[in-house]
Amino acid sequence: MTQTGPSPLGGPADGLAASSALRAMADRLEDAEVERAMREGWTWSQVAEALGVTRQAVHKKHLRRLLMARIDLRRRDV
Amino acid sequence: MFKFLAIERLAPLFLPRETALLVVRQFVVQAKQDAAKYVEAEHMLLTLAANDESDACILLRESGLTYRELASALHEERRRTLAFAGVEPLDEKQTAATELDRQLTLGTSAKVAIKRALIASRGGRSRRPCIQSTELLFGILQAELGTVPRTLAIAGVDRAALIVRTTNPMSKTTC
Repeated sequence: MTQTGPSPLGGPADGLAASSALRAMADRLEDAEVERAMREGWTWSQVAEALGVTRQAVHKKHLRRLLMARIDLRRRDV
Repeated sequence: MFKFLAIERLAPLFLPRETALLVVRQFVVQAKQDAAKYVEAEHMLLTLAANDESDACILLRESGLTYRELASALHEERRRTLAFAGVEPLDEKQTAATELDRQLTLGTSAKVAIKRALIASRGGRSRRPCIQSTELLFGILQAELGTVPRTLAIAGVDRAALIVRTTNPMSKTTC
């Protein structure tokens, strides 16, 4: 079988793979740090401001997971 | 195809029927161990390599790729990939977060691999889909770019030669 396509290693393949791996790592880091912040008593607004997104966006993305983590989210509506 | 499909619903695609459910559940176990949000082709490859009784496992082993070596090569692939961007992999403790209790679904690389395996499995057989382990391996190996071919290249495995071996007639029984 002759290899006609680009190599899976080196060149753009490395850069494209890195961009995908960084995105996955950033997602996992965000999940962990949002959970940590909320455990430490941060408000939704503070987390949103630190991430540079809206409070609604953080709420939508993380609420279910934080409830599963049994974090007390009462009085965090600021 | 396979969009939002719970992984366990895939079991009827695989042979033998008795162990198919265990195999697809193992895809999920591998993905979760990898902290992945989707089941990808590399998780299916790890599952094949872990199943000592499958013909695919034998082919992988004969090519120098045991489960342990594959897992090690995948780890090295991730390290090298992140190193390209000047980043080191994070400690697992740094990214430990509560997981959503949801069923994992197939990622794109896994969907493509299964589609290719299905096409391979239909050659000369009934229309009823039934993928054997070597056909799934064939489907996974068809990808020329992405995590699996990168990992194989790092492990020094000749992907093209392995593809040829998956198409050779052998006692295909288990997945």
